[in-house]
Amino acid sequence: MCDSNKNIYLPYLATVEEVIDETPDVRTLRLVFQDEQVRESFNFRAGQFAEYSAFGAGESTFCIASSPTRKGYIECCFRAVGRVTESLRRLEVGDTMGVRGPYGNSFPIEQFYGKNLLFVTGGIALPPLRTLIWNCLDLRDKFGDITIVYGARTEADLVYKRELKEWEERSDVKLVKTVDPGGNGPEWDGKVGFVPTVLDELAPAADNCIALVCGPPIMIKFTLPVLEKLGFGDEAIYTTLENRMKCGLGKCGRCNVGNVYVCKDGPVFTAKQVKAMPLEY
Amino acid sequence: MQKQITEANLRLLIDSLLLKGQRVVGPRQSGTMVLYEPLASASDLVTDELPRRSIKEAFFPVCEDLLEYRKEGQQIELKDIDPARFPETVLFGVRPCDAAAVPVLDAVFSWDYKDQFFLARRAKTTIIGLACTTADDACFCTAVGLSPNDPKGSDLLLTPLVGGGFLVESQSEKGLSFLEAWKDRFSEPDDTKPLPLAQPAATPFDLKKIKAWLDDHFEDPAWDSIATRCVGCGACAFVCPACHCFDIVDEGSEKAGKRRKFWDACGFSKFTNHASGHNPRDLQPKRYRNRIMHKFKYYDDKFGQTLCTGCGRCIRVCPVGIDIAGVLEEIEKK
Amino acid sequence: MIQTIDISSYSVITDAIRSEARRILSDSTVSAVIGYTAGRRKGSTQPIVITTADEADKLLFSAACLNDLVVYLTKAKKDVPKSGRIGIVVKGCDLKAVIGLLGESQLKRENLYLIGIPCSGVLGSLLKPSAELTTKTIASKCCECTDRLPVGCDFVPAVTPAPLPDLEKRYANEISQLEAMTPSERWEFWKEQFSKCIKCYACRQVCPFCFCEQCLCDRNRPQMVEQTPRPSGNTAWHLVRAMHLAGRCAGCGECERVCPMDIPLNLLNRKMAKELKELFNSEAGFEVRDTGPLTSYREDDDQSFIR
Repeated sequence: MCDSNKNIYLPYLATVEEVIDETPDVRTLRLVFQDEQVRESFNFRAGQFAEYSAFGAGESTFCIASSPTRKGYIECCFRAVGRVTESLRRLEVGDTMGVRGPYGNSFPIEQFYGKNLLFVTGGIALPPLRTLIWNCLDLRDKFGDITIVYGARTEADLVYKRELKEWEERSDVKLVKTVDPGGNGPEWDGKVGFVPTVLDELAPAADNCIALVCGPPIMIKFTLPVLEKLGFGDEAIYTTLENRMKCGLGKCGRCNVGNVYVCKDGPVFTAKQVKAMPLEY
Repeated sequence: MQKQITEANLRLLIDSLLLKGQRVVGPRQSGTMVLYEPLASASDLVTDELPRRSIKEAFFPVCEDLLEYRKEGQQIELKDIDPARFPETVLFGVRPCDAAAVPVLDAVFSWDYKDQFFLARRAKTTIIGLACTTADDACFCTAVGLSPNDPKGSDLLLTPLVGGGFLVESQSEKGLSFLEAWKDRFSEPDDTKPLPLAQPAATPFDLKKIKAWLDDHFEDPAWDSIATRCVGCGACAFVCPACHCFDIVDEGSEKAGKRRKFWDACGFSKFTNHASGHNPRDLQPKRYRNRIMHKFKYYDDKFGQTLCTGCGRCIRVCPVGIDIAGVLEEIEKK
Repeated sequence: MIQTIDISSYSVITDAIRSEARRILSDSTVSAVIGYTAGRRKGSTQPIVITTADEADKLLFSAACLNDLVVYLTKAKKDVPKSGRIGIVVKGCDLKAVIGLLGESQLKRENLYLIGIPCSGVLGSLLKPSAELTTKTIASKCCECTDRLPVGCDFVPAVTPAPLPDLEKRYANEISQLEAMTPSERWEFWKEQFSKCIKCYACRQVCPFCFCEQCLCDRNRPQMVEQTPRPSGNTAWHLVRAMHLAGRCAGCGECERVCPMDIPLNLLNRKMAKELKELFNSEAGFEVRDTGPLTSYREDDDQSFIR
């Protein structure tokens, strides 16, 4: 993407290969690049994002939700809340959309080798961590224990339901799923309670463990103190930040939080870095 | 290298450039305003007034196409923009406060990803600066480390001489090549003295001291008192030689259209608005704070430069008289 | 021949504003006063919101007090504290905006403490804020002003402004020139003017009547007017705005003053106002009314254009 004569705003074209409705309002699109060279050479790291185009409506920023270990396709996962996402939602299998990327920094996965991993996330914030989860599961013996704490408002709001089942059935992953009080249906077999509360009860060991947290601001606000109480240091906790973006590559001046550009210095940050940022996100 | 040129030869030079089909842009009367616009003849050139807008638009247009798209069935066809089509340009009569901003903008437009819309135009443009002999009370280039004859950003710098004519000093390879290509028009410098330079009344700011305050005062009641009056338009950002925020939008239909980039401003209320409705900079003082922070702290943190050249346009154009030099004075006093 | 305008009353007015502001802030008649204060550049002024009596000496009135402060009372300006009664310095032209907003239920009279200014005119532009006020530098709107002594205010300094010399009726002249053009000449004129627009929205942001929390042109579902500063989108923007203001615009002229590209926006609004006067015998800014000619229907409305 740093080719000197290239138009950095020109997207790759990708075909929608599969449309998956994760929940009534959250959709995953599986995309295959149309150009063979791009298909072979496109490479990214877990945590990076892309600018996805619905031509005629514009571009929208989401993480690349599939794992870099799975070749041949990429996935994005989004809720239709605005003009572009509504247009993306109208795409059918065989339609064409645009992809610009990969942009941003990534999880320093090599620094996690040999450690236990604790994923804490909720609702539609699972996709940015899901890429890392599969990345780690595909390299399973490089890591210690892997625990996933995932919750949503209701059962219907849980994303990647098929994969939650897969993770539950694996013996080398511990999945703790939960819904908010009142969000459980009659056959719910997980926990009932807010994610921070469930995490507190679970009390995973902080020793030699990296915590990866992604969720709505309210969830982060109550989860960080629990992790601190459990003994996780600020540099052992990672998160991804979201902010309004347009160019995705550090020029349009929109996504900065203080002097930190979320599209260039992020979106992956440690809790230590987030605490040093002004409250502008 | 130093040369000299008479006023008459300068105009002949411009006309010769135009005759050759060379695009020449300079300060020109445009209705009620003076703007940097393509000249049709040397007589168009106006040298006694600061143009209303800066020259950033020679490299960073107000609006430009990024690509064209067309839908055929389920397929999309994209048409790219060819930077080879950007014209070679000579910018004449560029004030030092405008020229100095161009290398400052180079930093962000080449930060990892090379923006060819900016850089290809840069490569094809020769900047001929003109030192200032007059200033008004909104000018404050001297307060931010520049001067009315600062060569920063110019390939050639012209300094007006007593009795007419200009001293010509090359500042770059491009400047030297230009002097070589047009050497018949220039003469060797004689002892003619330059006209006295403009003397903006502004005393130099201690930019380090100001930055140190900004480093520690993200939250401060001063932002409310400074910026409650700001009405949130984009006038200051648009006339500024250094502001470079932009938006990207698709215009047309889902069947065919263009993707365009165009000027945006951090002062607009919806600039940081998320689709969910969450807006990290939801009140005007927060947005104004970002303007000052970006110019005098963040750009320094990232690129070691100040994002302001003291041209004073924002002061002249602000609907509610916000005076950035006054704001800096206030901060420096703290 | 250029004549100087007598503004000796302005220093008396300044003192009067200060003492009144001090009084109404000390006894809590109001929680804040919106007025003008000095800027850094010689002669320049800027709006200020003061909330304590000891800030009263910051207020002033001079020929550089161009701003229509009424914009700060509208819901578009959420940052200005609006609890309790607010004092505001208004010239006659600004008062018309207050009247319009009262009619549109945007303001409550009992929440305002109007400090009216017996005005001898203000400068047309702040490019040279220390310029002397003369028949040449005076604002075009002042040349046709009929509201030098604002009525219905809570406090007006006891000063009678000196009579103004004969002033050329610039707007009337501009409108005549416009009306002398053929429709296609007029279209060319406005197209050229609108092509200068860079979509800074200064016109919208200073207008007391552009108080919509989300402007039609900022919505993207659907995108009614193109956002980019290109001639067709610019024309659409200005026409939409002129139509949204027709019957409401009180002619403060701020839009034209603040436009960095010198687009004669007030000419457009004044011409629209003239049309409305002729078609519906209606003028904005004189009486508090809750409907205007374009927001009401009458059986006897002219229908001759329907063929």
